[in-house]
Amino acid sequence: MKKKMVSVLLTVAMSAAMLSGCGNSAADTAADTAESVADAVEETADATEEAVEETAEAVEEATEEAAEAPEDADYGTGEIKVWVADNVVDFTNDTIKTFMDENPQFAGYTVTVEPVGEGDAATNMITDVTAGADIFGFAQDQTARLVAAGALEEVAPENVDAIKSENAAGAVTAATVGDTLYSYPMTADNGYFLYYDKSVVTDPSTLEGVLEQCEAAGKNFYMDLTGWYQVAFFFGTGCTLTYDSDNDGNFTACNCDYDSDKGLVALKEMIEVASSKAFQPGSSAGDAVDYAAIIDGTWDADVVKAAFGDNYACAKLPTFTGSDGAEYQMSGFNGCKLLGVKPQEDDNKLAVCDALAQYLTSEDVQLARYNAVGWGPSNLKAQENDAVKADAALSALSEQFAFTIPQGQYPGDYWSNAEALAGDVTGSFQSASDDDLKAALATFQETVVGLAQ
Amino acid sequence: MSSDNASNSKQNPIGRFFSVIGNNLKDIGVTFIEGDWKTKLSFIIMGIGPILRGQTLRGLMYLVVEILFFWFLSAFGGKYLSKLGTLGTIETTKKHRKTVYGDHSFLILLFGLLTLIFVVFLIILWRMNIRENRREELALKQGKKLPGNKADFHSLFDSNFDKTLLALPVTGVFAFTVLPIIFMICVAFTNYDATHQAPTKLFTWVGLENFKNLFSFGQNGFGSTFFSVLLWTVVWAFLATFIDYFLGIAVAILINKKGVKFKKFWRTCLVMTIAIPQFVSLLYVSKMFDNAGLINATLLKLGIIKSAIPFWTNPLLAKITIVVVNIWIGIPYLMLMATGLLMNIPEDLYESARIDGATPWQMFKNITMPYMLFVTGPYLLTSYTGNLNNFNVIYLLTGGGPKSMSYAGGAGGTDLLVTWLYKMTINDTNYKMAAVIGIMVFIVTAVVSLSVYRLLPSVKDEEGFQ
Amino acid sequence: MAKETSMKKKRAIGNFFAYLALTIIVIIWLFPFVGLVLGSFRSYLPEVEYGGIVGYVIPKHFSLDNYRFVLGNETNFKRWYLNTVIIASCVSVLQTIIILCVSYALSRMRFAGRTALMKFWLILGMFPGFLTMICLYFLLKQMGLTQAGAIPGLILVSVASSGMGYYVCKGYFDTIPKALDEAARIDGASRARVFFTMTLPMSKPIIIYTMLVAFMAPWNDYVFASYIAFGHDKSYNAAVSMYRWMNTGDYQGYFTRFCAGGVLIAIPVTLLFLFLQKYYVEGVTGGAVKG
Repeated sequence: MKKKMVSVLLTVAMSAAMLSGCGNSAADTAADTAESVADAVEETADATEEAVEETAEAVEEATEEAAEAPEDADYGTGEIKVWVADNVVDFTNDTIKTFMDENPQFAGYTVTVEPVGEGDAATNMITDVTAGADIFGFAQDQTARLVAAGALEEVAPENVDAIKSENAAGAVTAATVGDTLYSYPMTADNGYFLYYDKSVVTDPSTLEGVLEQCEAAGKNFYMDLTGWYQVAFFFGTGCTLTYDSDNDGNFTACNCDYDSDKGLVALKEMIEVASSKAFQPGSSAGDAVDYAAIIDGTWDADVVKAAFGDNYACAKLPTFTGSDGAEYQMSGFNGCKLLGVKPQEDDNKLAVCDALAQYLTSEDVQLARYNAVGWGPSNLKAQENDAVKADAALSALSEQFAFTIPQGQYPGDYWSNAEALAGDVTGSFQSASDDDLKAALATFQETVVGLAQ
Repeated sequence: MSSDNASNSKQNPIGRFFSVIGNNLKDIGVTFIEGDWKTKLSFIIMGIGPILRGQTLRGLMYLVVEILFFWFLSAFGGKYLSKLGTLGTIETTKKHRKTVYGDHSFLILLFGLLTLIFVVFLIILWRMNIRENRREELALKQGKKLPGNKADFHSLFDSNFDKTLLALPVTGVFAFTVLPIIFMICVAFTNYDATHQAPTKLFTWVGLENFKNLFSFGQNGFGSTFFSVLLWTVVWAFLATFIDYFLGIAVAILINKKGVKFKKFWRTCLVMTIAIPQFVSLLYVSKMFDNAGLINATLLKLGIIKSAIPFWTNPLLAKITIVVVNIWIGIPYLMLMATGLLMNIPEDLYESARIDGATPWQMFKNITMPYMLFVTGPYLLTSYTGNLNNFNVIYLLTGGGPKSMSYAGGAGGTDLLVTWLYKMTINDTNYKMAAVIGIMVFIVTAVVSLSVYRLLPSVKDEEGFQ
Repeated sequence: MAKETSMKKKRAIGNFFAYLALTIIVIIWLFPFVGLVLGSFRSYLPEVEYGGIVGYVIPKHFSLDNYRFVLGNETNFKRWYLNTVIIASCVSVLQTIIILCVSYALSRMRFAGRTALMKFWLILGMFPGFLTMICLYFLLKQMGLTQAGAIPGLILVSVASSGMGYYVCKGYFDTIPKALDEAARIDGASRARVFFTMTLPMSKPIIIYTMLVAFMAPWNDYVFASYIAFGHDKSYNAAVSMYRWMNTGDYQGYFTRFCAGGVLIAIPVTLLFLFLQKYYVEGVTGGAVKG
């Protein structure tokens, strides 16, 4: 539109210049005139356009205000794609059906739900935003990456306050980048605690005790030592590792003090745990064999229950005695699953997506989701529900949450560096001296700090 | 004399290039000056000359291509081509809460390149169109008759059958291999990565920045990682090729041994690893060697080991395990191939060796192996380069792990260049470095192929083993 | 006499060791497949047995639950399987046609740029394929052949570049005496006629080999298929969906279901392969020597 207008105006200017040139005998005068006329016309064109744009915006805003008044607004038609994990596809379909029944003004939209795991969702969204889902569930550690790739729309301003006040603080932090709320908290059960077999592990209060009892019984103790889990040791001894990010999802600073005595205590504890013959690296109960204790999350509750039977028990993470003789409580992250809305090129569709995402993360739906698939709610009122409170795994988790920090945003390279550190803990660090370990921590710190620019 | 000529032309390719260009320009000029109005018109409207001379089929082809080209240029390609220099300048903006996408750097680069190639293609076609006119005119001047449309059409199934056969395959290779490769080579000179992701953000040309990063050995440089991954890639390909090769021949000889019955049965059992899709068998095997997998569990149960062997989590052990599992994959191919070739060795060679009192080992060393090495030289080369890029085995078994802090860019202990490249594309969307690594893979493969190819006995001496 | 018996004895001992070695080899080679089949008969239902990885091979209870699962309506496995069959069949036929065309042209006809083309394709083959994934994705997307259209998209990509894999087939054509062609041409047959009525009928082994190899490849295609079909469950092929069962946290305890799916995939491919083994051996041997 814009281009066409300019070119039409330019043509007019050119012909005007040519005509005026005919009167003058000197060709260069003609050219000069042509240029100046063209400039003038261009400026006018720009001015006109701006004016037009402003009017259009004003009109748009007006329409939107009208749109906010429900029932009588026309939202047009469209298609909305939703990506959620496979095990909640049926649940989500049912919920969306209820939503559409309750909101006949959105009837022009068809919603399709596809099973895309939380890990894949972020990767796929980033590969091609335009082909991605309009609403998608993801784990919080992906927020910054998604924002940086332009795959997350800010939460509608009118919903922000309600979401902030109704959901657990940790979940809100996770959904925020800089000072902007980018997504809707869906669960607050992303954390880990100890599952154990009562018949083998009688006292789950200390890590040494748990390992000893597993060794004695010839059973395995599973714990993952990669980025998400290793902080249980580092944060436990009082280290910090957080990143600051700006509103665009870029990392501006890193606060890390792993290169310290506290960091060394934590790393040495990890090495000691890894040297136990009961230790197995891993955090998915589905892949674990012959275990009597596993550090895992609520999503594996059913698997563990099936493995332990009547001896199924859950507890907060144990304490450990560091190489300096002091006792530390294992820490960790607390996190959540979020529901994001993709940036839209159509205001009406965005309004529908906002409303749907809001609904899918509302108190009632969170509670219903807990009942259907056992995902722990992030909504504070839903958390007070009796059924939720009676859940052994969820209550162990909420006990553990007292010792954890809300998981903010971490650059993707943090996870691969931390995984690399974990690789060395089971590998070369087993026979390394304190100096080597200190040097390794210094390198690690330098690298992770270097990830923020 | 002839060798002198050859060296002359080799020494001065630039001069030759310009002389070719010069000759072409001269020819174009002569065509224009000496040509009639039909030919002259063809300089602007391609193919009009042949059409007017009754060669409708050929002429129409030129004309249609020209029309299609200009339609493409004006409707689609032009706007991308004009932005190719900057890869786009209009940023994505927000209007209230609505997103208005700006320039799509990716599509600008892709379709800009496509348009550029089309332009080159049209120039070549334009040149052909002029030559066609010239040829026709000269033929008419000499009083020859031009072939009719029917003859033209029939030649597509006879003397020009190659054009018919190759048209589709060559177009396919161009669109889905050549264009993407040119595109990715260009990406290596841009800053296209996670923080410059189209369509939200623009990316642009950065020159040799990424190559500098690959060879920088500082904190975040890729240098040391690149060389250790490269080293493992080369070593892996060597081990995978030659261990499989010798063991495969050994198994083939074992099955071929006189007195061994049910030859077909043994072969069929081995061949199962080729028949069953690798992603099924390798995923199963990877879980077998898992810390909690079958092998560890059994060994633990039998009391042979006290704690699980970290087949995949210890870097050195992971490398060894991969090579071992690859034997399982590789032997059957070699066995099949060697079985066929062993039968070709003239029996009288063995016969006379036996009379001379040679032991089986001597016969193997002096007859079997030289023959096999001679005939399978090219196979060994392709197998080596294939293993340099053996994605499936590495990715399905370890996914490139275990990771270590000594590696940058998310690489792991068993990563080949090609799996590293894949991970960079998928996990980090670090397309610029992936493109650089891809170019490196090409260079390594090309260097190995060219240098080894010249050393092959069957290439050096075609009649060698008679 | 004595010498002969000692020879016999020696041979018998030799044979014994040969059989021993072969038996061990075969056990090692077949073990994963036996394990796969046995795993597929272990129930995933928690009240019966566990569907994840366990430390034993033989299931405690024989059950068909996994097959009931993959063939039932709980997943789209049947759809994914059908997708794979469609892709494999189309690729097999179209790729063979392309390869035959290219091989014949390069083997029988001499035209300007022939060696240049062969060299150029050889160089192209040295670039790693994954490099161009993102580019191919956007090319296909432009044509509407991603996500919902991923199946034809996958076929198109596999077929389009297949001309570069002409080596084995061209090598075979080179062995067919040219004199036959020439005799027919003197009798007035066109190139096309020679190709269709003489060369093709004589090339049955290589056609079968090419089709077989082309048919088997798509069953393995996880990487590219998952890249262009993402977010559209119905466009997945079997490899994509089953790779998820094995390596994604959302699918815990799917190991035995993976085994069942794997068996279902392996059966047709393996049978076809074993049935056509002879042609495969010919192709591999011929290709190896010519390089």
